[in-house]
Amino acid sequence: MITTWHDDVAEQVLSHVRVVGIVGVPPLEVIRRCNEAGVIIHDLDARLVTTSLDEGSALLPKVYCAILRTVVVNALHLKLDAIIIDVGAGKCDSALHVSTILQATLSIPVLRTRNNDTQDFGTPICQARLGLVEKMLAITEGVKHATPLPCQGKPCKPKAGFWGVPPRDFSLLVPFPPTTHIYGWSRCLENKTPANEALEIVCNPKVPTVFFAQSFCAKTALAKFLAERHPQALYLDVDFTASSSAQAKVQAFLELSGALS
Amino acid sequence: MILGDFGTSYCKFLNLADDNSQPTILPTKELPGNLHVDLATGHNGRRFANRYVNELIALARGGEAMIDAPDYVLLDCGSRDLKFVVYQDGKVKDMGWNTECGASMGFTIELLERYYDLDYQQMQVPEQTFAVTCGVLGMSHIFDAVIGGMPVSEAVASLIKGIAVNAHHFCGAPQRLYLSGGLCDNPVFVGSLPCEVLPLGRYLLLKGLAQVNHPRRGAHRLGVAE
Repeated sequence: MITTWHDDVAEQVLSHVRVVGIVGVPPLEVIRRCNEAGVIIHDLDARLVTTSLDEGSALLPKVYCAILRTVVVNALHLKLDAIIIDVGAGKCDSALHVSTILQATLSIPVLRTRNNDTQDFGTPICQARLGLVEKMLAITEGVKHATPLPCQGKPCKPKAGFWGVPPRDFSLLVPFPPTTHIYGWSRCLENKTPANEALEIVCNPKVPTVFFAQSFCAKTALAKFLAERHPQALYLDVDFTASSSAQAKVQAFLELSGALS
Repeated sequence: MILGDFGTSYCKFLNLADDNSQPTILPTKELPGNLHVDLATGHNGRRFANRYVNELIALARGGEAMIDAPDYVLLDCGSRDLKFVVYQDGKVKDMGWNTECGASMGFTIELLERYYDLDYQQMQVPEQTFAVTCGVLGMSHIFDAVIGGMPVSEAVASLIKGIAVNAHHFCGAPQRLYLSGGLCDNPVFVGSLPCEVLPLGRYLLLKGLAQVNHPRRGAHRLGVAE
């Protein structure tokens, strides 16, 4: 039976769990209570195990969001006491269905949340002069903490833009210059408002921007729509790993648009 | 300075140190294992060169050097894939590289010519178009058509036309298209593209490498008016 997170459940669960997996961005209050209880949090959206995604094929179709396929493989292989999965506007319908599947498959509690947080925490990491991989790692690490992590870089003027979700394969981010600003859902993550659609559609028409979404994700529609309207854009969707042609496209786009000069 | 475009089926070379040197071409299957160049592009380029430039960049730089227009679409049809760049107001507006769903088009066209002993220079653009998305899957159309009584040359030409229409769609269906790659020399393919076509030949990526290495040099040896 699926359980929705509320105070009674929180008391009950947090009193005896030590390790939880989170999917998407559960509300700040949930993360705060986990932090206060000293619970170890694993971000199941990230690549935490080396097992092939095909191991999750019995539970999910092969043609499905690679992030959620990763969630399933992580959930099957990590030793977890509970899973907290956000299924609201800040994540997606697919996560809702995955929560049903995980609950039916695993013997641990699977708790649904709907993150409608509106308190803005700011986006200094997104606008810092720092390698894009480092920035994205800092943003995704921040999901596990109720308070913002310190930003390691100084603010900079952007020479390029990356719009979208944190990719499953971070190698896609390597060619970007450190002056790349982050937009889209990744920016919403840092701001701790994952359902903030107004913030998600923000981009900078003055800098060449890669509009990225995971293949088979609903956000491909928004990425393509925004890219069509942007004067210097590359729309890109990638499945579980960034192919050499996807990487070459990014590299060529950045070089030819002057973002690397 | 030796430049190399290491394609899937053919490799093209240019020696910039020799003023009289012309581009040379060699089937990839005949490449000597100890070959080494200074600057390379193409699928096989990394293992033969000191420096590597990815094919989209080489294509775009070649286009910038050869096309005197702020707005254009440039498509490269190779053995294995399709690549395009779109320029608007002198800036890159879009680009694409299709390595999967459009795979092996050029290779399939050449394979069919040899297998059926055809001469594309003598063939006409057909009325019929086979709806194909890649060379490999398109083969079945030919087999079925031939079984149904269609002449082999017409069936193959219909496949080529389908490939051309697909390639045109892939790069945004422009009214005017600059074309590079070996298929520039195939009149069935060029004539099947549903738009005005300006063929630039098969050495454009070498031209792009020359531009990357030293802008404005080497163009005259590629038959390009500057």
